[in-house]
Amino acid sequence: MAITILPPAPAYLEPQDDISSDDSDVDGGVDLEGNSGMRPSKRARHSSDQELVTPGEIVTDDPQWMRGHGTYVAPSTTEIVATVAGTVQRTNKLLSVRPLRARYTPEIGDLVVGRIVEVQSKRWRVDVGAPVLASLPLSAINLPGGILRKRTETDELQIRTFFSEGDLLVAEVQSLYADGSASLHTRSLKYGKLRNGVFMSVSGTGGGGGVVRSRRQVWTIDTVHGGGKVDVILGVNGYIWISKHIEVVGGDTAITRIEESVSSTVYSSQNDEIAPETRREVSRIRGVIEILVQEGLRVDEDMVMKGYEAAVEVDSENQGESNAYLGGEAVVPGAVDMEIAKQEGEELKNVKRA
Amino acid sequence: MPLDTSTYSLALLRLDGRRWNELRRLTAQISTQAAADGSSYLEMGNTKVICTVTGPAEGKRTGGAGTGGGNEAEVRVEIGIAGFSGVDRKRRGRNDKRISEMQTTISNTFASSLFTHLYPHSTININIHILSQDGSLLAACLNASTLALIDAGIPMRNYICACTAGSTSSHSANDEAADPLLDLNNLEEQELPFLTVATVGESDEVAVLVLETRVQMGRLEGMLAVGVDGCKQVREILDGVVRRRGKRILESAAV
Repeated sequence: MAITILPPAPAYLEPQDDISSDDSDVDGGVDLEGNSGMRPSKRARHSSDQELVTPGEIVTDDPQWMRGHGTYVAPSTTEIVATVAGTVQRTNKLLSVRPLRARYTPEIGDLVVGRIVEVQSKRWRVDVGAPVLASLPLSAINLPGGILRKRTETDELQIRTFFSEGDLLVAEVQSLYADGSASLHTRSLKYGKLRNGVFMSVSGTGGGGGVVRSRRQVWTIDTVHGGGKVDVILGVNGYIWISKHIEVVGGDTAITRIEESVSSTVYSSQNDEIAPETRREVSRIRGVIEILVQEGLRVDEDMVMKGYEAAVEVDSENQGESNAYLGGEAVVPGAVDMEIAKQEGEELKNVKRA
Repeated sequence: MPLDTSTYSLALLRLDGRRWNELRRLTAQISTQAAADGSSYLEMGNTKVICTVTGPAEGKRTGGAGTGGGNEAEVRVEIGIAGFSGVDRKRRGRNDKRISEMQTTISNTFASSLFTHLYPHSTININIHILSQDGSLLAACLNASTLALIDAGIPMRNYICACTAGSTSSHSANDEAADPLLDLNNLEEQELPFLTVATVGESDEVAVLVLETRVQMGRLEGMLAVGVDGCKQVREILDGVVRRRGKRILESAAV
């Protein structure tokens, strides 16, 4: 009997793509001709034909380019070398590499969701998922009792009554310090303490799937099945808050009047009564976002709304069994629901392709 | 039981059937844990390692020492060796000398290869779990850390790629004609002189060189040359892993 010895198969084999075409430019430098006149675009452009570079790879040795983020110039050469794995981006003569995945780096004007981790005498330290904690000075919040109220020493003593450790808030990046840490402010009715909802953390603006900077980061969904209105806040830093929508009381009064009437409840940590229907829809939206992230898709208003509609549609097809996320370890409980999740993902991809 | 090296000269095949310059099967995955900033899983033969990277994040204040408060990020490494990873079920304490030496080696290596000055007063935590050990432990840890750091998007000068190199006969045998060997397994490591070498990318720049066994001076050059060559092979494999992952991300993002 003939014996054939086969090479052992690895425990896990990643799909073998042809990478030889990528390897060919390792030492030759990436071809930079052609689109040097490209318009600088603020939004990141995704396309599969973008060139991928890995750390240590020479992007170009042409001295006409300036190095940007994700690159460095090796000493005594003109070579621009990538320091992260990502795609090459050119803005006029600036060459940068956008990482596939990275931590959030704050920029002025970003809408972020954060958590208070430390209370100091005149400011709070807020975790916004950045390399260093952001700070929220006492002077950058709306104090109860109207817009024109002066900050006093009593406020400093009562700092914990506004925000204390573990509180969640939505804020805007006001300025950046030299070390890259952000200074936040909540001086608007849109910002402030968060309650009546659920928090989730996905990867933020940095690459891959996750929250992207878009036109609208905050919007209200009219949910089905009597769930009422649900607010969704997509922090640019990848922190997301989904909560029951609270109507602003006395909406017809002047701006300054709203400020006064709202501020009495604005620092409350007490949740309102939330109906089971609302809770179900909140968790359904959460499930949709989880799936988007799992499939590596971007999370923005458009995608979440499409995903939510698809989820509702799938739910109405399977009578009796609800696929809403109702807590627990898995995104959607049960293998059948996982299949539904996959279908939704595919559906979304098809929708975007069309 | 002493390693039987007498058969090597007959067929020039090692105990596991490799030739002198062959690596073991090296497979890796990145982004294995969604919750971590960066993560990787690496197999070098039967050595299996999981690595997760958290950060750069603001670490806890070290009381007055000011190590983490400088203008550069601090790289902290923690290695856990699972009880079931080796042949003998040995309990290792918190301050095992071998583990802490590996931690320091890895931490120093990456502190000089990462662009830590971009993240002042923050900490990059590298957590390594060794699930199975069969030689080249330090090399596997370095390779897994490199992948996890790339996954975390932390800027670095170049890949740090590591492997081991040894010699076919022990120090006491004093064999002049000893061949160098690449990527030793546990059995070979126990018997033969070996060194761990890590290079910066595809260059010949050595970042780590650890030699704990006695070996004749004359054999060292050969061992080092083979090791550096092995590191280049390792780099190609790691680069392939990163590229495949990147391609997948770009494809799904293009939708």
